[in-house]
Order: sequence, then C-alpha cells, then structure tokens
Amino acid sequence: MATVALDHIVKRFGALTVVHDLSLEIADREFLVLLGPSGCGKTTTMRMIAGLDEPTSGEIRIGDERVNERAARDRDLAMVFQNYGLYPHMTVAENIGYPLKVRRVPRAERDVRVRTAAERVELAGLLHRRPAELSGGQRQRVALARAIVRTPRLFLMDEPLSNLDAQLRTVMRAQLKHLQRDLATTTIYVTHDQIEAMTLADRIVIMKGGRIQQSGTPAEIYARPANTFVAAFIGSPPMNLMSGTGSEGVFVHPAGQVEIPSVPRGQVTLGVRSEDIRIVGPGQGHMTGVVFSSELLGDTTLIGVTVGPDLVNVKVGPEGGMRIGEPVSLLFDSKSLHVFDAEGQRLSGGRP
Amino acid sequence: MKARRRRARRVTLMLLNLILGLIILLPFFWMVSVSLKPAVEPFAIPARLWPENPTLENYVTAFRPEFRVYFLNSIIVSVSTVVITVTLALLAAYAFTRAQFRVLSVIMTLVIVAQMFPASAIIIPIYKMVKSANLLNTYVSLVLAYVTVTLPVAIWMLRGFMASLPLTLEEAAAIDGAGPLRTFFEIIVPLCRPGIVATAVFVLIVTWQEFLFALSFTSTKDMRTLPVGVNDFIGQYGIRYGELMASSVLISLPVILIFFLLQRQFVAGLTAGAVKG
Repeated sequence: MATVALDHIVKRFGALTVVHDLSLEIADREFLVLLGPSGCGKTTTMRMIAGLDEPTSGEIRIGDERVNERAARDRDLAMVFQNYGLYPHMTVAENIGYPLKVRRVPRAERDVRVRTAAERVELAGLLHRRPAELSGGQRQRVALARAIVRTPRLFLMDEPLSNLDAQLRTVMRAQLKHLQRDLATTTIYVTHDQIEAMTLADRIVIMKGGRIQQSGTPAEIYARPANTFVAAFIGSPPMNLMSGTGSEGVFVHPAGQVEIPSVPRGQVTLGVRSEDIRIVGPGQGHMTGVVFSSELLGDTTLIGVTVGPDLVNVKVGPEGGMRIGEPVSLLFDSKSLHVFDAEGQRLSGGRP
Repeated sequence: MKARRRRARRVTLMLLNLILGLIILLPFFWMVSVSLKPAVEPFAIPARLWPENPTLENYVTAFRPEFRVYFLNSIIVSVSTVVITVTLALLAAYAFTRAQFRVLSVIMTLVIVAQMFPASAIIIPIYKMVKSANLLNTYVSLVLAYVTVTLPVAIWMLRGFMASLPLTLEEAAAIDGAGPLRTFFEIIVPLCRPGIVATAVFVLIVTWQEFLFALSFTSTKDMRTLPVGVNDFIGQYGIRYGELMASSVLISLPVILIFFLLQRQFVAGLTAGAVKG
C-alpha cells in the first residue's frame, strides 16, 4: 500500500514527445483510472511507474521514495498486461506462483498462497493446465491471480479487459472492483473505455496528446467536463456539442437560440447531455430539427435529431420511439447547459 | 477445368519431387548396397543394383577396435562442440535480439560474412594458430575449429527464434521480480527449445561429418574421428569399397536416427522465426 507521485514527468521517444510535463498524485488505496484514446500517453505513463520505461525528465515517487533509478523488479508492484504476459511453458499454478518463487518463498507457503489467489478468481480447478489450454477470460484471471498472489505496494493494470468479449468484460469489471476494495491496494488502471473508467474509478485522469485534460471523480467529470474533448469522450452517448455565437445573453445557433445570461460574445460551443433535453411540440422548444434515427435500447430510446449542421442525441422513455423524418422541437434544461469557449475550454454551466 | 489444371499441377509437382528424391537418395542407396556386397562383387559386370549374395561380413570387418576409438572420439568432439556452440549462441543471440546498439547490427552482418570463407581457405592460418598454441592432435583443437565454423549460423538461427518471442514475457518477469539472468534461464531458454533443438542438430550434422580439419589437426590413430578413420580403407594399392561403405553406413546411422527422432521440432525451429519474425 502506498501513494504514488509523478513530478513534472516528460517522456520523449526520439523527436516525439509522448508525455508533456505531467504531474499527478495518487492517494493510498485509491483506484485511479488513466483514460484516453490510443496514443494519448496513458500506457507510457503507467510503464514509467512500473519501471519498464524511463522518464526523460521528472521524478517518480512511490510512498515518498524516489524510484527513478530502481529497476522494475525492485519497485514492489504487480502488473496485469493487456495480452496477459503468461509464461506459455509453465502451468497455471507455476505462473501464479512465479513472483513467489523468484522471492524465495518456501514451497509449502507458496502452494497455499497460489491456491488462495486462484480461488479468489475462481481458477482452482485449472491449476495444472497450461495457458494455451485456457480461454481468454481464464487467461485474464491467471494474470490477475499472479498479481494478487503477493501483497505488492501497487497494482498496475494495462487494459486488462480489452481482449474479452462484452459480456465477460462486464462480469470481470465487477469482480475487479470488488477485489480492489477487498485488497485495499493502490491501483492504477489504464483504459480507453470510458464505461470501464466510470464504473471502476475512484478518480479518473483523462489524457490526450500526452497532457492531462481533467482529473476528478467520475461524477465530477460527468457533471462538469473541463473541455469539449472530455465532454465528447465521457458518457454514452457523449455530450451533444453545438457551435454557435453568443451575443447579449443569447446563444445563437442556425437551428434556434437559447437564453444563457452568462454567455460571452463571439464564438462559443454549447454542450447538453442527452438526458437534459426534452422533445416538445413544434415551436415550444429552443431549437427545431428533424428526427434522424430512433433506437430502442431497452430501458430508454435514443432519438437522433438533425439540428442545423449538428446531430443531437436525446434520451426518452422506452415508449418514446419516433418516425424518421418527423419534425420536432427540442427544449433544453436551462440548469444543465455547458458553455465552452472557442478553444473548447469550459466557461460556465453544468450541475453544481 | 480449373480443378483439372490444379490436379495436373499437383501430379507434376509430385513427379518432380519424386525425381529429386531419387537423385538425392540414390548415392545413399548405393552406399548401403555396396556395403552388403561380398568382396568380389562391387566390380562385377554387369553391375547389380542390389547384391546377389548380401552379406554382413563388411560390417564385421568395419567394426574393428580402431573404429570404436574413432567413434568415441567423434562423440567427444561433436557433443562438446554442440554444447559449447549452442550455449554461446544462446547468449549471443539474446544480446543481439534485445540490446539496441547500431554497432550490433554491423557485427551481426560481419558474423555472417565470416561464414562465407570456405574451410579450405582458412585451414592453413588456423593450422598455424593451433600449432603455435601447441594444440595439434588434441580434442581441443577440433572443438575450437568446429565452434568457430558453426557459431555464426547458430547465432543467426537462434536470433530469428528469439526475435519472435513477445517482449511482454520479459517485462512480466521483470515485474514479477526476476533479474536478467533468471529471466534468461527460466523464461527465454525454455521457450527457445525448438530453436535450440534445430540448432543443435545442425551443429551436430556439420561436426559429425567434418573431414578436412579432422584430417589436418590429428596425426595419431587414437585421436582420429570417424570421417578420417574411414580413410583407412583407402590404401596405396587399392580401395576396399565394401568395408568403406559399411563404415559410412555406420557413421550415418546415429545422425539419421537423431534427425528422425527430432524431426518435428527441427522443422518447427527452422520455420518459427521466419514466419512470426
């Protein structure tokens, strides 16, 4: 168990800078998710914490101790790799027990701890198989068991669920969360899947182009995205973004206008979540448009509406399906409007 | 129409393979045939493909006490060479695969360039070196020469194999707490087994049948290896073909046996690096 601190970390590969002056503190027992599209520097950041890559400059501390000069094996952490990294020539039991064997844990104790770890991830019956004889989900659990067989200071997980099918991913997600609560070990988790991030994280750090875009709890990030990138990345569907101009307390858009007292003059972007929009009778809403799509998702229906140059998603009840091509009017919840400036930075709005 | 053309193609290929196989196997067949012929028969006219009165007497003569000494010498020299070459090649190949210096790729090319000199071109300088090191007529001289000759190819074979192993395994081992040596011996080497088998068989075949170095470096009968020993049957006044061929068959058998036993791993080892790398 430990805190982790990244202090002005820069990572360059030749002429390419992958991580720009990144600083980040991770609390003891925190479940931190690094979220971002591929190439955003999240995996590189984790690899630097693991000791698999060296930062070009900056300091990494684990539990108040500088670890830049420490090899991965001396950092006392465990990692789950995206493609699992299981040793093909060893059985499941040998794979799980390898970190203990390397640390010269006596065989009897090793066997007990391997068994405990295996039971924890429901692998007890497969201890004598080899990785090639396992399914993807089982391999993933072996990698997990190998990580939890010791009590390291830190867990690192690099997209551990990305090779599983959707159904299994949901199950493993819940198990992971439960496991981390149980073990109370600081965990850093890398993913590009915002649902994984929202469901697992105590805190999400969203990255893009090697820079942190926003750091906060899932609820904070959802309610008050720091910029249009975060707004468009988080939520399913993501926040609706419409560009227009502000003048005299009114946001003007090709398909209508909205009164926002705080709106500045000039180019701005208005953001509205799909659940903060209602479909109302013609002329009664802020903007008018035409139904582009209507998708029943089970508990809700997602209506796509063409509004001027933008496509706006609206969440309505399961009975709210509409005909494509139907003209509609959209009413925005004035308490839940987000305003971003021309550079995409948040200006105001959002739920408190 | 298409199916018929494909079938015709297959039949042609099979025929060509058959012819190729015959050409390759004919000398081998002739060796076995002659080894079974009584002393009067090899030059009988008309020549017979298979002896009229097959006999094992050539084998009895061939398997004389000296032959057993040669056999033992060959085993000592070959096994030593295989062990040393494969060990060195494993270490070198790992360095060439994982370390990232530009110089290394140049060295890697030089390694293979060295392989292009024919043995007969380098034998005189090597002979002089061996002589000045006082190693003539020793196992050491032969093992040294064979390691020199086989090491470059062995490094290339193993490097191709190692390059196909995913880097994640080494990273996982580092995270699990294993140092570089432990990672090498417990993760890399076991996973290279097919490659190791292929390389070992290759080195064994080259060493087992080597003639020129063995002839030049050994002077007494008690140090000779099999290919040189067979020479005993080529005298100043005649060649005793029956015994010569019987010895040749005896020499070939162990290598053929080993090859057949390890055939599957050998082929896997040869292709693995090529396909995945």
